[in-house]
Amino acid sequence: MIAVTPKNLSAHSATQQAKLDLNNLSPEQVALEIKNLDLYYGNKQALQNISMSIPKGQVTAFIGPSGCGKSTLLRCINRMNDLVDICKITGQINLNGENIYARHTDVAALRRKVGMVFQRPNPFPKSIYENVVYGLRITGENNRRVLDEAVETSLRSAALWNEVKDRLHESALGLSGGQQQRLVIARAIAIEPEVLLLDEPTSALDPISTLTIEELINDLKQRFTVVIVTHNMQQAARVSDQTAFMYMGDLIEYSDTNTLFTTPMKKKTEDYITGRYG
Amino acid sequence: MDNLNIGRHISGQFNEDLERIINHVMHMGGLVEKQLADALTSVCDADEALAKKVLSNDYLINNAEVTIDDECTRIIAKRQPAAGDLRLVMAIVKTITDLERIGDEAGKIANVTLESLSGKHQDLLSNLDNLGRHVLTFLQLTLDAFTRMDFHAAVKVHKSDDKIDREYEALMRQLMTYMMEDPRSIPQIMSVIWSARALERIGDRCQNICEHIIYFVKGKVVRHSSQEDMQSLS
Repeated sequence: MIAVTPKNLSAHSATQQAKLDLNNLSPEQVALEIKNLDLYYGNKQALQNISMSIPKGQVTAFIGPSGCGKSTLLRCINRMNDLVDICKITGQINLNGENIYARHTDVAALRRKVGMVFQRPNPFPKSIYENVVYGLRITGENNRRVLDEAVETSLRSAALWNEVKDRLHESALGLSGGQQQRLVIARAIAIEPEVLLLDEPTSALDPISTLTIEELINDLKQRFTVVIVTHNMQQAARVSDQTAFMYMGDLIEYSDTNTLFTTPMKKKTEDYITGRYG
Repeated sequence: MDNLNIGRHISGQFNEDLERIINHVMHMGGLVEKQLADALTSVCDADEALAKKVLSNDYLINNAEVTIDDECTRIIAKRQPAAGDLRLVMAIVKTITDLERIGDEAGKIANVTLESLSGKHQDLLSNLDNLGRHVLTFLQLTLDAFTRMDFHAAVKVHKSDDKIDREYEALMRQLMTYMMEDPRSIPQIMSVIWSARALERIGDRCQNICEHIIYFVKGKVVRHSSQEDMQSLS
């Protein structure tokens, strides 16, 4: 049994006080700053005047009903929407104080800094080893020792090393769904990005694999800023430090997760997270 | 129940679960109110049969507490309530604990009837009855505020506990005087003191319930805060 001493209690209240004021973050605390972002698919406006600051070294979750724009917003952060012809974006997203939508931005370099993991695990039809070092090889790294070290570090960080260390050169397609998703995360973190975007990373996984990934997300935030889109509200409540609720292209409420799930400020948020009709 | 807003969940089953729990709490509140009224009547009328009935009926309140507690646990496990729903379940879990304790205090008051006080202590009992009636009204107002989840009513009721505390202190001073005047009556007066103490504790429990209502409606924990802080929430 854990003894509750006054010391324990004060430590707990100190954690409570560490809550960030999302409207007044210092420049050092901010990983990403989204300013007045509007996004159109053709004539349809999918995001309306989104402004928010995403803090460094924390997990930020986007929640909301289907079609609310949360995945669209996530994809804006590494310019995945550039691939959609009819997409038009105005506003800014600043990474380390620089607008990623500025004319001179090197998109390939941006995507090295902002890694992404998708809903369905998408390992390449190569060995586990080659999957992890893929990004490093593209950047020209061929030193065997460096690559070996990166494979071990990344797989350990992705909580997969112990399961695959004896079959690194077997096909990645032989892994289970949960293992494949962790491999994809290892691949994303092997190139040491600053931000990791996770687009519903566990929606295709069983509950145990989901918990493993959630535990992994908690470890990853020590080294990366994590932004996650999830349909599962309890997952957002479990893994994130901040939660943003979006509805029909608007950012309705953005606050620390504890507050949002116990005392939301907006009625729309309350209705959504308690499963009521809008 | 306007503030509860429980009928709008997409899951009809969840609506039913919450409605059932709230009905059970109201039923439990009614039982507690009846127990307290009967305990006070038994003291005032020296009705031993009624006092015994109060003591034997305490199990009904205990059972209600266990049942509601169980239902709340099940809802947390199955529905993972959030925001207002979560605060409602938490407020209910705490409220039923306070109601159960009020039931126990009613039992202590009924015990005084069985102490068979002599006629010369009748004026003591009438003072006790006076305090008792005020506490009973206080409980009724609290349960009423709970039923409507009425923030303003809860703040008002919470504040009026001061009046009960003052009455309790006046009664205690009077009882001290009696004990000094006639030390042989100390055993009987002690039992009156225990019931006065029980009534004062019921007042405190009602205050707790008001705090749970405020927590549910405003999402703010007001335990251990001043009346001014509480007012500033409105």
